[in-house]
Amino acid sequence: MRTERLLIGAGKALAVIAILFWSLFPILFIAMSSLKPGQDIFAVPPKWLFAPTFKHYAELWRSWGVFFDGLLNSFVITLGATLLAIVASACAGYVYSRNSGRWLGASLLGLIIVRLIPPIVVTLPLFPIVNALGLSDTHLVLILLYATFFVSLGTVLMRTFMDQIPRELDEAASIDGASRLTILRKVIMPLAMPGVLAVAVFVIVFSWNEFLFAFIFTATKAKTAPLVISEMIGSIDGVDWGILFAAATVQLVPVLIFVVFMNRYLVAGLTAGSTKG
Amino acid sequence: MLQRTARILPLLAPVHLLILSVIVLPSLYVVWLSLNTSSFGQAPSFVGLQNYWRVLADPAFHSALWNTVVLVVVAVHLELAVGLGMALLFASGLPFRRSLLVAVLAPYAVSEVTAVVMWRFLFDPDAGPITLALRALGLPTLDWSFEPSHAMGLIGLLTIWLHLPFTFVIVYAARLAIPAELYEAARIDGATRWQAFRRVTLPLLGPAMLIALLFRYIFAFRLFSEAWLLTKGGPARSTEVVAIYLYQEAFSFNAFGPAAATAWIMVLASLLLAGAYVLLLRRGGVAHAH
Repeated sequence: MRTERLLIGAGKALAVIAILFWSLFPILFIAMSSLKPGQDIFAVPPKWLFAPTFKHYAELWRSWGVFFDGLLNSFVITLGATLLAIVASACAGYVYSRNSGRWLGASLLGLIIVRLIPPIVVTLPLFPIVNALGLSDTHLVLILLYATFFVSLGTVLMRTFMDQIPRELDEAASIDGASRLTILRKVIMPLAMPGVLAVAVFVIVFSWNEFLFAFIFTATKAKTAPLVISEMIGSIDGVDWGILFAAATVQLVPVLIFVVFMNRYLVAGLTAGSTKG
Repeated sequence: MLQRTARILPLLAPVHLLILSVIVLPSLYVVWLSLNTSSFGQAPSFVGLQNYWRVLADPAFHSALWNTVVLVVVAVHLELAVGLGMALLFASGLPFRRSLLVAVLAPYAVSEVTAVVMWRFLFDPDAGPITLALRALGLPTLDWSFEPSHAMGLIGLLTIWLHLPFTFVIVYAARLAIPAELYEAARIDGATRWQAFRRVTLPLLGPAMLIALLFRYIFAFRLFSEAWLLTKGGPARSTEVVAIYLYQEAFSFNAFGPAAATAWIMVLASLLLAGAYVLLLRRGGVAHAH
């Protein structure tokens, strides 16, 4: 009995180590390598102890200014897409939470089904349209695309979270003479903050990291950080890995910190989004 | 009735306008594009289903479809198996569970581009630490830069790494929702661990696992970035997946017709899977999953 306990304990410990290694090693390895002086990156066997240097970051700053423009573009686009997705999903989620009916049910189901259409499908028709409208290579086109691909999930999430807010609050406010929009803004939204945060986590992570749409619809002005990194990979012969690691680390760290702090909303969103919608 | 519609429509409008103008109408336009020959939608001429026949008869499409199906089947099921194992491990009681959960979620924050940078270097044939470690242990290494099947293996690994947090969380949440009394009762009835797993855990996790699978099938079927960034579909189109085939047809060969036909083949495949999901939803099997 004791030995069995011990064996199970040891097995669990091993499994936990394996899981940690799997999840964190790639991330830690590139972050660490970005701080390694030149040749140490390729040292065989890998060097675990070294004098950290910010040389690659300085080099990145000097020779890849376009990467920092990309970060700024990513920031603007992420912010825009998140605000748009939250406002649109909150309005629709409120309707779906407080009303029911055949048409509403059908339209919600429609939203969910539409979400399953592969994004690459819409790039074909949108490509000429975006060009014709002069929207190619603008922040706006990516903001609209990113927000759109998340409003379905956003609406479902907002509805799920708003369902937990008692209707009596709406009624009380409405008796006091508040309009629907006022009720939504002043009563529902403050209480639906967990839902807003869950939607925000999804849109922010997606918009910050998205590659395909940025690749197809931007060229220079609105190029996002992931796209610049992909160009660095493409010219791998000319670029050294140190700079690439530095860029990847800079792109990754803000959103990683964000996910770490928002993990509970990510989990809440994943479970609500997948099982209820 | 009319009054209610007038009241709720403005609130519904933003979401539906976005979806309609960015997804629904363009998708319908793709149907029209797929029935014509044109480049970038210019100077179309109607050819009926010819584009579809062309795509379905194209050996490059066959290999792309085969690659995609292999990736979907192997990677997604492996991912589910690992996710299930992890969920059971977490549910069995671990110290520092909260921090471990955060660690497991970390890859969710990583972009495909950054993940490709990581895994490319880890498996670099000359200096990658994993390659070196495998070699030191006398194990075979991945020659992904010129061996197509190895490249597919690396793409699979990458996609599992990126999406395991999703699968894990879905299964783990479902496992936490199983009341402890059921295990209590099973134990009193003299069930072994294995029997408890077979008779209590698996059936109750079934719906959640099915949902995780369907979502991951649909998302893996459209996989583009990982494969594109790692190999660009090469060498000689051998690691193309369906989304890359579509991209190449449209944006490299200016063949919008066949690309549009490919797009609709993708939509139909996704909707077929989605149909299974909706059916499940209707049956109410999903209720257990929460």
